[in-house]
Amino acid sequence: MEQATKVTSEHSLLQDMSAVAQHQSQEALGRLFDHYAPKIRLFCLAAQPGANLMADDIAQEVMIRVWQKAHLFKPEAASLNTWIFTLARNARIDYLRKNSRHQSDIDPEYLWRNVIDDKADPFKDAQHHRNKTQIEQGLEQLPSEQRQVLYKVYLEGKTHKEAAEDLALPLGTIKSRVRLALNKLSIYIKR
Amino acid sequence: MLTHHPSIEMLTDYAAGSLTLPHAMCIATHVELCPDCQQQVNKLELLGGQLLTDEKQEQRSLEGLKNALFARLQEVPEKAPMTVGKNIQTTSQQAQHTNNLGYRVPRSLKQFVTQAYDDLTWMRLSPSFKIATLHNEKGGPQISLTRVKAGAHMPTHTHTGDEITLVLEGAFSDESGMYRKGDFVCRDASHKHKPIVTKDAECICLTVLDAPIEFTGWFTRLLNPLIRRHHPLSS
Repeated sequence: MEQATKVTSEHSLLQDMSAVAQHQSQEALGRLFDHYAPKIRLFCLAAQPGANLMADDIAQEVMIRVWQKAHLFKPEAASLNTWIFTLARNARIDYLRKNSRHQSDIDPEYLWRNVIDDKADPFKDAQHHRNKTQIEQGLEQLPSEQRQVLYKVYLEGKTHKEAAEDLALPLGTIKSRVRLALNKLSIYIKR
Repeated sequence: MLTHHPSIEMLTDYAAGSLTLPHAMCIATHVELCPDCQQQVNKLELLGGQLLTDEKQEQRSLEGLKNALFARLQEVPEKAPMTVGKNIQTTSQQAQHTNNLGYRVPRSLKQFVTQAYDDLTWMRLSPSFKIATLHNEKGGPQISLTRVKAGAHMPTHTHTGDEITLVLEGAFSDESGMYRKGDFVCRDASHKHKPIVTKDAECICLTVLDAPIEFTGWFTRLLNPLIRRHHPLSS
């Protein structure tokens, strides 16, 4: 049942995306905002607790990109969640490098490819679909200690080293938890 | 065939966006040259998308923010052109920037190497060894390119901090192995090594140094003050 609602909501989000792409529907953008803006804000607040202004700025920035780039998004080649994640990640990096004490002149725009730049490739698309299902299903079964470390790295934006300091655990423990998790999600198979 | 890859930890930190920008630059360059790691990063980004959306919703009303967004929409152009943002050329589009040796500057370095490697300001440290500083991060690492002639060896040196080397052109070897185009090498402070460039071609590498390297050779020790002066930590 839960799986079914997930699929429907994903389907309607994709319909909203194409409505934005094809006839600049503000209503559809509003629905995308309702779904994603709170998540993007949480993503920012995880890294900078209490930084509501930053969270608002980045959520707005990401939604403007969605508005402008919706027509470039190809649902068969990339997942919408992933695209939004990469937009939010890059916007957060850019915000922090301009506004935090770790200022940097290196422009992150050059350092992360955009998922929508990929050329269409039926083989890759099928592969992508398989990966996505494996990750979705695997995440639900992950032990909480492994989930916690993924949360630190992805949402709080901590490096493995910082996550180890935060949790007062040896770096090796963090590394092995992440590896175990990535293994279960079939993301990482040791070469 | 490149054989030396970044660790899964570094790839994860890169995909998650938690890696420092100088290190991210090395990963981005490697990923551009390595389809395997590219795939790995794609999957790690998929995970990011899933983790982002699995989060519980916050209860706060965002109506104000939503209205602000719609007000801003009036001001921004409706559709981004097919090439969005800063119009950064990808490797396949930049044939005009290759020189007679056929070198292509990776997209990840385009902010600092806008044309060809030859157009950079190279500082000659020995007859066979040149260095060009791309960027000094404030109080952080130094990003540079090193260029060593075919068959020459780099001066023996130790690292006072971590060093990441990425082979952009040519190949070199040291005590631990052979490194070719795209290979990613991470060395820590305990390492003392003496890389030798293969005889067939010169070698250009991207290096990110957390702290200045120290030459340990009899003659090249004289270069240390020079190297240190150019590292951002010393200023």
